[in-house]
Amino acid sequence: MSHVVPNLVNLDPRTAPPFPQAALPMLRNPQLRKNVGHAIDVIQSKRAKLVAEKTDWQELRSAAADIRMHVLENLGSYLEQFEANCTAAGGAVHWAADAEEARHIILDLLRQENASEVIKIKTMTSAEIQLNPFLEASGVRAYETDLAEIILQLGEGEPSHIVVPALHVNRSQVREIFARRMGLKDLSDDPQALTNAARHYLRQKFLTIPTAISGANFLCAETGSVSVVESEGNGRMCLTLPRAMITLAGIEKVVPRFQDLEVMLQLLARSATGERMNPYTSLWTGVTPGDGPQRFHVVLLDNGRSSMLAHPKQRQTLKCIRCAACMNACPVYRQTGGHAYGSVYPGPIGAILTPQLMQMHHAQSLPYASSLCGACYEVCPVKINIPEVLLELRAQVTDIERKTFSRFLDPMYLGLRIANLLFARAWTFHLAQWFGRIGLSLFTRKDGWIHSLPSMGGKWTQTRDLRGLPGQNFHEWWAARRKEAK
Amino acid sequence: MTAPADSRQRILDRIQAATQSVAKNPASLANAYAELPRGYVRHGSLSAEARLELMVKRLREYDAEVVETTPQELASTIASQLAASEKHTVVAPPGLPADWFAVGFNWKIDRSLTAAEIEQVEGVVTAAACGVADSGTIVLHHSSTEGRRVLTLLPDWHLCILRASQVVETLPEYFDRCSQPPALATYISGPSATADIEMTRIKGVHGPRFLHVILVHDEG
Amino acid sequence: MRASLFITCYNDTLYPETGRAVVRLLERLGVDLDFAPQQTCCGQMHANTGFRCEAFSQAKRFIRLYQDAETVVIPSSSCVAMIRDQYPGLVAELGNQELRQQFEALVPRVFELSEFLIDRLGVEDVGAYFPHRVTYHASCHGVRALHLGDRPWRLMAKVRGLDQVPLQNIDRCCGFGGTFSVKNAEVSSAMLAVKLQDVVATGAEYCTALDNSCLMHLGGAMHRQYAGMKTIHLAQILASTEDCPAEATL
Repeated sequence: MSHVVPNLVNLDPRTAPPFPQAALPMLRNPQLRKNVGHAIDVIQSKRAKLVAEKTDWQELRSAAADIRMHVLENLGSYLEQFEANCTAAGGAVHWAADAEEARHIILDLLRQENASEVIKIKTMTSAEIQLNPFLEASGVRAYETDLAEIILQLGEGEPSHIVVPALHVNRSQVREIFARRMGLKDLSDDPQALTNAARHYLRQKFLTIPTAISGANFLCAETGSVSVVESEGNGRMCLTLPRAMITLAGIEKVVPRFQDLEVMLQLLARSATGERMNPYTSLWTGVTPGDGPQRFHVVLLDNGRSSMLAHPKQRQTLKCIRCAACMNACPVYRQTGGHAYGSVYPGPIGAILTPQLMQMHHAQSLPYASSLCGACYEVCPVKINIPEVLLELRAQVTDIERKTFSRFLDPMYLGLRIANLLFARAWTFHLAQWFGRIGLSLFTRKDGWIHSLPSMGGKWTQTRDLRGLPGQNFHEWWAARRKEAK
Repeated sequence: MTAPADSRQRILDRIQAATQSVAKNPASLANAYAELPRGYVRHGSLSAEARLELMVKRLREYDAEVVETTPQELASTIASQLAASEKHTVVAPPGLPADWFAVGFNWKIDRSLTAAEIEQVEGVVTAAACGVADSGTIVLHHSSTEGRRVLTLLPDWHLCILRASQVVETLPEYFDRCSQPPALATYISGPSATADIEMTRIKGVHGPRFLHVILVHDEG
Repeated sequence: MRASLFITCYNDTLYPETGRAVVRLLERLGVDLDFAPQQTCCGQMHANTGFRCEAFSQAKRFIRLYQDAETVVIPSSSCVAMIRDQYPGLVAELGNQELRQQFEALVPRVFELSEFLIDRLGVEDVGAYFPHRVTYHASCHGVRALHLGDRPWRLMAKVRGLDQVPLQNIDRCCGFGGTFSVKNAEVSSAMLAVKLQDVVATGAEYCTALDNSCLMHLGGAMHRQYAGMKTIHLAQILASTEDCPAEATL
């Protein structure tokens, strides 16, 4: 593996470097790791406090997990229900099989509106389909309106977290970006001043740009309603002021009934930001005469989701409600940050979602980007057993490798195949232990420790010593003791 | 590029193929849904008094100003809130009760005001649909007493009149009260806020920076 | 009480002193302990790296080997987690009814060491003496897969002379993760560095745990960095007495 440190962030899974390599810039950046650690600690401690006070937390998790799985098992019925009800209420529902289709549908709708500009509420789904660059190239300028998204858009950066995407940017960097792009020479780096600058910058856009794009947190099948959860109010601006609205949503975002929000909303804010409820939640149904956009479209996106439904163990990945609790709990993410995952979806959920959306053709290193500690599963509000899915995907990646010639050049592959043969019989295992003891003694120093090993062993000894193999292993000791006893 | 109808069918076909071993037919879908276990708390356990105290506490935790009053004193409370905040030009939804229009202020009633016109007012006064004490949430269903969504979004100052009889303890209790799902709803549980810059919580990004709540004790 | 010791492939090869301690401890408590010499590995390393077929054969072997054991004791929470959490799936996939029955009859009889002491033997005071400052690291499998809860503490509380120092972020992963430590060596090392900071900050002489995998990781860094601390498996602390003090690991 190359030790060249990549200095460009790449969130396209088809071309992003493998995780071990992509993680290096962050690992070499103590300040950044500290910032991420601090941000995570803030959310984690707030979340922990609220979870402790919620006596029915586990029951809520169970109910949410059951509701979401029930939806996925019956997704066809619920999507058709949603479509019928949304249409009856004056909305138009479009179906996009993949990212390219979704982009074209959205562009066509924007052209119907003669839109040369559009305001956007943060939606990761639009990043997944790489919408903004496509619109830009097609003559439509898309303005992000979430503070973090503005920071990234104006600063030409990439998101590193689902809920706090600009986690990795500090205040003086934000000041520099705003001063340059908003033409505010005397801007201070006080977060209040920076926020005021953003508020002012966006106000005119909200009041004058008549077309908006949003994502959706939940699609309600019973009513055809859409719900969006936010903190800043830019969502409400985009949902209320424009004349036309396009909502892009993955097909898995459905809940059966309005009442199911009583479960989801109790879990989401506590998991995502450590609040009992986020400041603003909006719900709307089709078109309401006199209130809000009079033209409303929903673009339902498949893009690999339907193929995930087929595998019982993998289906659970789609239960996700995008709270990011998993990455806040993850000890790997804490050290590597989000960019290392080479996808708009980072962290534990990204490690299972991204390769599956790519039909396992890309992002094959992501299922291995985990020590399987299980902290993510513990906090997931919809009980996705992320370690179980990681193991499943590792098996698939390995099965792909089994068919390639390069497996004979992979020391890990060869080592594990040989180890399996050795573990099959006691005498081969014992023989291997004997050879291992002799072989490793060549590397063992006087103090009984190994400081440096070749090949794969060198990955261990990069930063850790290894105690030399004892002269008598356990089963030898046991056999000797038995002999003595006789 | 495939035609729209083709994609719809293709996606639904793929879903059907993927879930045919577990999907319920339409007849048994409702039963399967009804049988999903729900062990979480649905009903609160606080007394009415404690519930209202909790609502007030939560509102104040997110820096909403809360004043309690009686139905008889409501009109004068509205007046004093407006006066204390120095709001002169105020917008009201078309269905706002007549006796809420305190005298001495410049009231604009929303009969299809433009966004530019709403931008000019200093505040908005509305009723509410419900209050959820557990999270200090104010629910707006945007009826004629609560106003179109833009009314509680553009002005910087929002005075919300919440009746004690509208306050429930838990979120499921609010859903129980909805005899049918609202077409429009906004759930307010804090002033607009962001923690995007170094996790420093800043209030008042978009939406009213000042929320005042009058809690009217209309219990028997 | 009869029990069969599954030492685990890595303890057998790298940490025989932990096995010796388990034998000393359990025999002292009156357990009639045996050791099946044909044992090799539970298959965890292969299963966790994606080599499922290879894990199948190791799982089969384990199940068959212990089908007549009254109890199986394993001084490694990750191996017990493998048996409880992953064997059911592997066995189901193999589709062999007889194997499945054998497995289902066996699994309730498999215990991690602290579970065996507390749940099966019903003891907390094992008569141990270990006059040292010790901090305990809660391995991920022990906490989240086996839900060991307060068992380790109940055992440590009864060890005479033991001065226990609490560890900050006690259940944060040390970064070992099996083959992860090699496949993602840099990330693993970063996690290890952070964990080691917390461990060293306790000022303890020893870091203990119920898994030598974590201790191999932590101990390897301690030795490399001259951290002035040692690691020791909890079994060795529990086996330690005045007459027969624990063999130092380092």
